[in-house]
Amino acid sequence: MQKRVLIVDDHQPFRAIARELLESAGYIVSGEAADAAEARAAVAANAPDAVLLDVQLPDCDGFAVATEITAGDGPMVVLISSRDADDYGRQVVACGARGFIPKSKLSAATVAALLE
Amino acid sequence: MASNAVTVSPSREAVRDPVLLLPLAVACGLAVGWLGVHEGVAGTRIAVDLALSWALIAASLVALERPRWRRARWLLAASSFALLAADLEWASSDALWTVGFLLEGLWVALLIQLVLTFPEGRPWSRPAHLTIVSAYTVTLAGQLVGGLLTPDHRDLLSVSSHPSTAAAIDRAQAIAGIGVALAVLFLVLQRLEAVRGPARRAQAPLLLAAAITALACLVWLGRVTAIGSRAPTLETIARAFALTIPVGIIVGVGWSRFHHPQASELVVELRSEAAATMRERLARALGDPTLDVAYRLDDGRYVDAAGRPIELPQREDRAVTAVSIRGEEIAALVHDPALLDEPALVESVRATAALVLENERLAAEVRSQLAEVRASRGRIVAAADAERRRIERNLHDGAQQRLVTLSVALGLEATRADKATADVLSRAQDEVEQAVGELRELARGIHPTLLRDEGLTAAVEALARRAPLPVTVESNARDRLPDPVELAAYFVVSEALTNVVKHASATQASVMLEREPATLRVTVTDDGGGGVHISPESGLSGLRDRLEALDATLLIESEAERGTNVCAAFPCGS
Repeated sequence: MQKRVLIVDDHQPFRAIARELLESAGYIVSGEAADAAEARAAVAANAPDAVLLDVQLPDCDGFAVATEITAGDGPMVVLISSRDADDYGRQVVACGARGFIPKSKLSAATVAALLE
Repeated sequence: MASNAVTVSPSREAVRDPVLLLPLAVACGLAVGWLGVHEGVAGTRIAVDLALSWALIAASLVALERPRWRRARWLLAASSFALLAADLEWASSDALWTVGFLLEGLWVALLIQLVLTFPEGRPWSRPAHLTIVSAYTVTLAGQLVGGLLTPDHRDLLSVSSHPSTAAAIDRAQAIAGIGVALAVLFLVLQRLEAVRGPARRAQAPLLLAAAITALACLVWLGRVTAIGSRAPTLETIARAFALTIPVGIIVGVGWSRFHHPQASELVVELRSEAAATMRERLARALGDPTLDVAYRLDDGRYVDAAGRPIELPQREDRAVTAVSIRGEEIAALVHDPALLDEPALVESVRATAALVLENERLAAEVRSQLAEVRASRGRIVAAADAERRRIERNLHDGAQQRLVTLSVALGLEATRADKATADVLSRAQDEVEQAVGELRELARGIHPTLLRDEGLTAAVEALARRAPLPVTVESNARDRLPDPVELAAYFVVSEALTNVVKHASATQASVMLEREPATLRVTVTDDGGGGVHISPESGLSGLRDRLEALDATLLIESEAERGTNVCAAFPCGS
């Protein structure tokens, strides 16, 4: 079954290219969100299987959002950032996310490695 | 320095009062004494009363040299005359007898008020206030009620003669008197324990005298209560003990005066290097351990010896005395108000200390300016850090975002294109990724995100992981430290590791972050060839301002063949 993925990033051109990449890799993009508030609403409304979540959101820390939405039966979260995982230290593992992909390394293969 | 005219602002109030009372007191005393002799009163009693009355007047004259003892002076004089008035009881005239009878205990109440309000004239405490009120009630109201019922034929107030009721009132008055005497004794002993410094010198003799007198009164009143009569011998003895009160005041003044150091001794004392600080020397010279010195800057602000700004207190329990040179205030002495009772001592210290204080003031001014420079440098570094954060954030949100989007787009297109195009796109993507990597490194150097989020140890560990040679990190600095300290310590490690990589030909390095109670010590060591010269243009030298703003020290040891050791110590509270 095709996985339904929510893209959360405040940079619209990045969301567009990520959508194209995911769709061409066989995923269904269930929606896009530009900040934490929209992300929470979209998770509640569409119940995606996975969330591609930018760490640096304008209204909230991405780690806090990851902790929140992975609690219970929530979707799996893949963190993305234009920084390295090394720039964030222990928070990457502590927040309950499935994994971390530096944005510049985002590809069908890196996504599949974490989601499949 | 040219002649230094030291201004002494007069603080002593003009004195007039009880001098005129002296001849009056002598005359009244002689008249009452004659009355006693004429009426056949015991010579001892006459002598004790006259001695007490004149001693009280003498004490009030001696107290003239204490400007703040104004009310005490009047209470002493009033008590002296009230005592003579009470002795009118010796007269055979009914009117005089009645006046004497009514005023019998007033002088005692006045003395109790004197003691419990000494020296400022305000009751020491609420219990002291209540004791004073009780003393007046027992002596005045007791006599009035007794006067209405006493069987004495000379009593003009007598409305009916109830000998047994009058005797009961006498006894009740004596019992109440015991209560008052106990309260006075307790309050006086408490005060004796509490009073310190110059106040103790002036007050202790009076307080001791009051305690002794209260004890004597307790013995006398105890006897009166037991036997139901006046016990005249014990009464005379108790009055004789009351003589110690004016004597205590005179001794207190004399003791304080005796304590005055001579001007020459003061010069030696104030200029001696024995005591650590000018404050301590002045405190010792004035006998006031609570003394503080506030130096006045040209702009009117006051600072302490370390140059820290301070406000002059405006409280009743602290007094301020200005010290001036050539009419210009250079410092203020903040001290126990009891010192105001010794104006001569304060004047001589003020005159002697002025020159020395001027030097101290200049030093304090320099320290104050240094503190301002340091604070200003701290603000500049803080502003620069804020700017660094802003630039890092802008890089991340702007150029870095666009480049990563471009990289992902190139990668995506490469998967869809024919092989030749895909190769070109992949190479382009590699270039972009390299640019993103360099930009990320630049952003880290400007302001590391990990330092902000996770603290110094995590950020230094990340630095070590990224270093192109093995770097071990040992740290006990797990708790967060002030932002400027963390950032400066991080930059020291970062710059030191950059130097290791560039110049040291080392195979490994180690970083130690040691948190001590009041210090953070950062040490970076390598196993390279040593002999590294840190040029003024290097990154480490560039940290000088940042480190100095934090009072931090930086030590670089790099002997040939012994590796390089960079050690920075940051003062920071626990």
